[in-house]
Amino acid sequence: MTERLRQTARRLLEEGNVQVVIGYGASGPVFITRPEDADKLEWNDRCFANLTVYLTRKEVKALGKAALVVKGCDERALVVLEKESQIDRAALYVIGMACDGLGAAKCVECQTHVPRFADEVIGTQAEPPAPRCAPEPNGLDRLMAKSPAERWAFWTAEFARCVKCYACRQVCPLCYCERCIADKNRPVAIDTSATPKGNFAWHITRAFHLAARCIGCGECTRACPAGIPLGLLNQALAQATEENFGYRPGMDREAEPVFGAWSPADKEDFIG
Amino acid sequence: MSTAISVAALGELIAGWIGQGKLVAAPVQVGDRLLYQALSSAAAAVFDARRRPANSIKEFLFPRHEQIFRYRLEGKEIALSDVVPEEREQIVIAAKPCDAAALPILDRVFNWDCEDSFYTARRARTTVVTLACAAHDDACFCTSVGSGPADESGSDAMLFDRGDGQFEVKAITEKGRALFGVSSAEADDGTLKRAPQTKFDPARVARYLEANFESPLWKDLTLACLGCGACAYTCPTCHCFDIVDEGNAAGGARVKNWDSCQFPFFTLHASGHNPRSAQPQRQRQRLFHKFSIYPAKFGSTLCTGCGNCERNCPVGLGVLKVLQAIDGEARRLDEKEPVQA
Repeated sequence: MTERLRQTARRLLEEGNVQVVIGYGASGPVFITRPEDADKLEWNDRCFANLTVYLTRKEVKALGKAALVVKGCDERALVVLEKESQIDRAALYVIGMACDGLGAAKCVECQTHVPRFADEVIGTQAEPPAPRCAPEPNGLDRLMAKSPAERWAFWTAEFARCVKCYACRQVCPLCYCERCIADKNRPVAIDTSATPKGNFAWHITRAFHLAARCIGCGECTRACPAGIPLGLLNQALAQATEENFGYRPGMDREAEPVFGAWSPADKEDFIG
Repeated sequence: MSTAISVAALGELIAGWIGQGKLVAAPVQVGDRLLYQALSSAAAAVFDARRRPANSIKEFLFPRHEQIFRYRLEGKEIALSDVVPEEREQIVIAAKPCDAAALPILDRVFNWDCEDSFYTARRARTTVVTLACAAHDDACFCTSVGSGPADESGSDAMLFDRGDGQFEVKAITEKGRALFGVSSAEADDGTLKRAPQTKFDPARVARYLEANFESPLWKDLTLACLGCGACAYTCPTCHCFDIVDEGNAAGGARVKNWDSCQFPFFTLHASGHNPRSAQPQRQRQRLFHKFSIYPAKFGSTLCTGCGNCERNCPVGLGVLKVLQAIDGEARRLDEKEPVQA
């Protein structure tokens, strides 16, 4: 698969269809701009990062038309970004990688091992592949089985380790605001202090802003240097969104997003 | 006379210190991570000479958040009050030598023009007991910045894992001697043999930096950086902070919070101009501070080679990879035009 990926990248750059191929290198994301550098691309079990995050970065946009390597899970972010008018899908070439799970806990419950909307898919994969490891030890079901008081205690202990490095925000493809509410200081909306108050305010706000938008790639959890399972907050909201609105972000290109669409037939009486 | 001490005996010592009301911090297993934390019981301390915690011990001297003073608004008057400094003694045990080595580096920053009384007071009442490293990983590069797995800089005492559940104790300062009372002179048995290889030459890197503030290399090497503070906040030597007022209409506190040069708003001027408007410029700043600006001022690197930046980076970047690429480029240039002796 790696060789086919490199061939595709070389071809796209040689034909001049794209100016940059954003993919995985030996030790992290790479931005390939010359056909002769296509051999720097890799496909292996370390390809965790959700590269769709780079599409809204001005330094990356400046490189020109991009081809992007995505896994099936990452691709869901493209659907949301397109719905939110953040990317021009037609100006992007998507190279999808069929993925059998990278040996990570989050991959066990994945339902999108093969990208569905890519311009080109490399490899094949039966759905679902045999699980390669155990599911998340702190799964949502286990958390929701606790009492509210126990959940409060759980998050109090978890957030106590937060140092406000904002890795959770920076790795998130859907946290693309140019000025995050956490950075607003005239007036301050969220305390910048890494105190219980400041940390709760930040993490709850982050989760709310991603409600009905989060595609569950799990990058926030992976990126947290303090090991806080932040994705659980998003999963809880995703579950509520699905139960109440039958909507899963990034799964269906035709579905209207929950925030961003309204209907006179809404069951709540404040509509219409 | 052997001065070895068992894990159980270390646990008893720690329990005693906690009992005396001291704050004792050590590596603790939290989920899949090893993190320095204040101990509530001695049993939680992990004495592992082969693993490095994901954070640093700077937290105990330069906390992520602290109040400088409080204020109260009374009519048109503002009443200020000092924050009562905590006077509890602290002991950090089983710290990595690359964490302790950061303390003399931080001492210079927090005291060079005016004394940071909050930092110095904490420093004075803190004793640091390190555990010499018995292993390193690909991200470690202490030997490239003049340190090593048994570097005594910043340590008051050092433990050496004998591999049989016993630790040799080497007292380095009076504070260290006061904790253990004993010291073994020949404790360093082969620890250096397990040191990582030298991975770049900091002098050559500094020379390159001086001449190449503008270089396409910066963008090529650091474009993947997403601009979070995971590197800076887990770095033993990064020490930038922001000062903000937090409160309500009645009053509040002026506080000091960690900050990072990797955030876009770190250098945003009131005019709206941002001298470091792109991420590669911010990465360049971090490397310049560590390997050019601080060395020019204080004579050593602002880096102990712990490798936390790379281990904690969501995109696997870190200081080492960039420096190795710069060192390679500098070597290539040196070969073309040898430096005049």
